[in-house]
Amino acid sequence: MSIVEISRAPSIGRPIAINWLRELSARQSALTGAGVLLVVAMLPMGFAFLLDTRLFNGIDVWIKPLKFALAVAIYMFTLAFFASWVDEKVGTARWFRVLSWATASAGTLEVFYIALQASRDEASHFNYTDNLHMALYGLMGIGATLMISFSAILGILIARNGKLDVAPVIKDSVVLGLTLAFVLTLIPAGTMSAMGSHWIGGVHSDAGGMTLTGWSRDGGDLRVAHLFGTHAMHFIPAFGVVSALVLGPEKRWPVWLFTVVFCGFVAFLFFQALAGQPFLPRLH
Amino acid sequence: MDPDTIFRTANLLALAGWLVLLASPLWPWQAERLSGLAIPLLLSVAYCGLIFAFWTSGKGGFSSLGDVARLFQTRQLLLAGWIHYLAFDLFVGAWIVRTSRSEEIRFWAVVPCLVATFLFGPAGFLLFNAIRSTKSIAAQPGMSTKVMS
Repeated sequence: MSIVEISRAPSIGRPIAINWLRELSARQSALTGAGVLLVVAMLPMGFAFLLDTRLFNGIDVWIKPLKFALAVAIYMFTLAFFASWVDEKVGTARWFRVLSWATASAGTLEVFYIALQASRDEASHFNYTDNLHMALYGLMGIGATLMISFSAILGILIARNGKLDVAPVIKDSVVLGLTLAFVLTLIPAGTMSAMGSHWIGGVHSDAGGMTLTGWSRDGGDLRVAHLFGTHAMHFIPAFGVVSALVLGPEKRWPVWLFTVVFCGFVAFLFFQALAGQPFLPRLH
Repeated sequence: MDPDTIFRTANLLALAGWLVLLASPLWPWQAERLSGLAIPLLLSVAYCGLIFAFWTSGKGGFSSLGDVARLFQTRQLLLAGWIHYLAFDLFVGAWIVRTSRSEEIRFWAVVPCLVATFLFGPAGFLLFNAIRSTKSIAAQPGMSTKVMS
């Protein structure tokens, strides 16, 4: 049982990026394919961003699809990375491959619709203008729920894989990260969907938002809890690796303690937004 | 970034691709990668970006010649159409070079095809295939060979 096993290092020779993509593709080709597709789609969207002068919610129309393409691509690559951690029989089973394809398709279609709506200078999420757009927004919700469910399913399958040859603390951190990413995403995302907006108080515009993230600086913004909640799948396993290296691979409690603290942090962000408080207020 | 700057940049890029094809006997592998893949891909990204950003601002459509003319009244869509030409013509040029190498057609016969494709697209494609067909006809055992054997 070694820590090295957590990521089989690709052979040296070819460019590292290509090696990593080969490795990910061998682990789960549909999810990796979707990730590659989304990264490639960022090139023309990036060019459109340079050309388009139209604004939506106070910022360039192409910022939202670019952010979603990057985020969903990272999500797909993460799922592909951990897909080989499930029992080999499960990983090659038909239902698992179908589910992977469904997740990959849901993520790709989600970004496609967001980009299509951006190109028309219209809302994708929270679009209540007519029945068609309400129905499409509903479909986005179903797609997004399907997409994030795969994380929890993967977490449970990895927990049940007794043959997995990784350090206990690493296994715990991955199981906790993948499962909690589902829970901590669904709560803030479901809440903003039910409320019809991710802004609570403040000016409903991205124009004065934080650099890169666009989070509100004068009111509550549920996107903060959504981001940190979803990234549980990265933060907790990353802590697991550090813990294994520093405190030893057999000690499991540090990662459980970290998980409790992390959940508390996301809960704090969630209630902070609900109270109409910005994550980082603007300095005067 | 205004349409005129993009137009000039795309033209320069395509022209470089054609020059590389004309010098392709010197570096066939690199020429194929550059003119047959890298530059057309770059132009394709520009094309898609233009379409993404401006397809809703165009009037007209594809169902009549008048509609197509109206579509190209939007400068950015006219530019996209031009980049479409540049990308696909160059791609066909690279295909001509690649095919001529694999079918052992001499390069001096390929040069006029490249020039014709650069200037008049389909005309060069037609010319190259005409040259190809004469070569394949010549390679087949004809009447004269039959008489001699």
